[in-house]
Amino acid sequence: MTISSFIFKNALRNRRRATLTVLSVAASLFLLVTLLVALREITLPAESLGAALRLVVHNKTAIAHLLPVRQRAVIEHIPGVEAVTPFTWFGGTYKSDESATFAQFAIDPKVMRQVFVEAHMMDREIRAFERANDSCILGTLTADEFHLKIGDRFSLESREFRCTLAFRVVGIYAGTPDDRNMFFHQDYLDAARGHPGTVSMWFVKVKRAADMPGVIAKIESAFANTSAEVKAQSERAFQLSFVSRWGNIKALVIWICSAVVFTLMLVSASTISMAVRERFRELAVLKALGFRWRELLLCILAESCGLSLTGAVLGIGVACLLFQLGNISDLSHGIFVRFQMTPRIIGLALLVAGTLGVVAGIGPGVTVARTSVVAGLKGLD
Amino acid sequence: MKLNSLPLTYNIRNVFVRWRTTLATVFGIAMLVLVYVCLQSLATGLQRSSRDTGDPRNVIILRKGSSDESSSQITRDQFQRLRYCPEIATAPKGPPLISADVLTVLSLPRLDGSGSATVSVRGMTPGGMELRPQVRLVQGRWFAPGYREIVASTRVAQRFLHCNVGGTLRAGGHELRITGLLDGGDTAFDSELWMDAEVARAVFELKNYSSVLARAASSEAARALMVRIASDKAQPLRAEPELHYYEQQTRAALPIKLLGEFLAVAMSAGALFSAMNTMYARVGARTREIGTLRVLGYRRRTILGSLLLEGAMLAAVGGVLGCVGAMLVQAWLLTRGTSFGTMDFSTFQEVMFQFRLTPLILLKGLGLAVAVGVAGSIPPAARAARLPVITALKSL
Repeated sequence: MTISSFIFKNALRNRRRATLTVLSVAASLFLLVTLLVALREITLPAESLGAALRLVVHNKTAIAHLLPVRQRAVIEHIPGVEAVTPFTWFGGTYKSDESATFAQFAIDPKVMRQVFVEAHMMDREIRAFERANDSCILGTLTADEFHLKIGDRFSLESREFRCTLAFRVVGIYAGTPDDRNMFFHQDYLDAARGHPGTVSMWFVKVKRAADMPGVIAKIESAFANTSAEVKAQSERAFQLSFVSRWGNIKALVIWICSAVVFTLMLVSASTISMAVRERFRELAVLKALGFRWRELLLCILAESCGLSLTGAVLGIGVACLLFQLGNISDLSHGIFVRFQMTPRIIGLALLVAGTLGVVAGIGPGVTVARTSVVAGLKGLD
Repeated sequence: MKLNSLPLTYNIRNVFVRWRTTLATVFGIAMLVLVYVCLQSLATGLQRSSRDTGDPRNVIILRKGSSDESSSQITRDQFQRLRYCPEIATAPKGPPLISADVLTVLSLPRLDGSGSATVSVRGMTPGGMELRPQVRLVQGRWFAPGYREIVASTRVAQRFLHCNVGGTLRAGGHELRITGLLDGGDTAFDSELWMDAEVARAVFELKNYSSVLARAASSEAARALMVRIASDKAQPLRAEPELHYYEQQTRAALPIKLLGEFLAVAMSAGALFSAMNTMYARVGARTREIGTLRVLGYRRRTILGSLLLEGAMLAAVGGVLGCVGAMLVQAWLLTRGTSFGTMDFSTFQEVMFQFRLTPLILLKGLGLAVAVGVAGSIPPAARAARLPVITALKSL
């Protein structure tokens, strides 16, 4: 019998206990990775390719207040600005289904390709989008979810603007970090609203990243002391400001995460060490046979780490499967969209499991090493 | 001879045997209960702040098809018509108790420097304060009608810059001066800034009001008012009791509730496996003892019941510890006066609320603990009870 098969047999000697231990470690690591993924999603918005050259201009009073269209010409004439598009949040519901969670924005299709470089579409789709006033384009994820394809027609009802618009799908794009949005013509929305001359935001493409700070300052000063003062931010800063709105929730998740990890480590460690403590006499016999304390400690550590890593693999695996196959967006009522497992999170979880194994094994391991053979043979339970 | 019950002391004394593994399990259950109870308290605090907002005598009037004030619009003309409805109570020798409100938003920088958040601003016509007696002025004075003045809630002032008396906020090229602080009495008004409705319409460039709040003379009058508004087909308005309206506005609690439910399920699973392990070990070590009990005449189901009771007791100890922990958390939060803030993820506005621990939540927490304890004891207890007497006695 080799040492490794000896460790293996020992670990599985009490099958029921081994299973329960593995399952409890799996449950805790499942919990840990889920919380970490959720935390990542609410703290780190996805980074997109063109974001470095894009900035967002919105009303300084609050993002919900509209901006006058006259601002567009002013922004376009600022040196360093390549293109400007309106970006108006429509907030429509699809088939009066409140939980339909894709955002719709009215933009200027003519500059779409310049501003949103990462959204890939076929040329004829782009041309069709530019041509037809009632056309719209969809992200692949949304198109798949609602079974919409090119040529389909549907209508959306907006409570924000009190109107219902009918759209025709002419293109499906992919390549952005979250291919879920729908884009349509600002003109089409303006016509339905009776040309009020307002948009929600401007998306501005600058020529070079170095121009960004200057352009931001110029845009803000251009509208200072007007009735629609603006705040200009890089797209990244804009997304991060959205994230900060979660307030205490973020701190709460971090706090819970650490409490949960600590508790479950303690519980699993105590179970694993229970298995070792029960074999004190046996280990004393091994010692009497001539095994050195270092070898025994290694055996114990290998066993406890093996158990906890098996649990970790199981927990992380189930989490991966669930995030891949399950509809997280539905389960969380649209709060979470991407819910992506990253190698970093997996690595961190495995590290926690490894530490758990060492912590669980080291206590009884050291006791075994210290106990004399006689004391060990005498001991009961 | 058949013996019907084992003395309770048998279980109590057994709790202290193998205290090391037992302690870890108890601690695990305590933590499960602590996290569960704390999150439930937060969700309850958030829901309560919305639920307790309405006054039973008030009726809120919105545009038909709007589920909340932020998407509703009421024209000046509609407000003038509503003002003189006979069902509305009047102040002694005064005007009718009715207010048209403008609900809008303002972006404010946080005190701790972590960016900014959107906060609700409510403009109200004179009389709006009388309709909301739960709100008190705690510092300074109310805004004067027609002036660019604004009153912040103390919780807003605790979390955002320039919101103390004397500070100024910028909105649409205008400056609004803070003249006082209000205390919303743990209601949704704790997340708002108040100002004059006409000034708000001018500063935020809004044509219409958002909603109208009216005090009905009696509960029959309230019903009559709602019927009158519903039957006036010319005006696309709807009315509902203010209490009922605020009961619906609890979406902000959803993320916390979901987090609480998810953690309750996942942590219970972990705690369940650990409780099962502990009970297997405890029962396994007593196999001979249990055999002896059988020989003495105790029935299988008596032994089963006794072991389940032991598991439940263990878990209950953990549950009580968790509840005590949650009470300590509440006491600590109260002494520091901490309030929480989060985003209502459908309107993206900041809502502020208190941690609210109720006896019902504590009971639920204890129930969860006992359920985990009993469920974890069933398989080992059943196994022990089924074991033939001879096998049990022979085992080492």
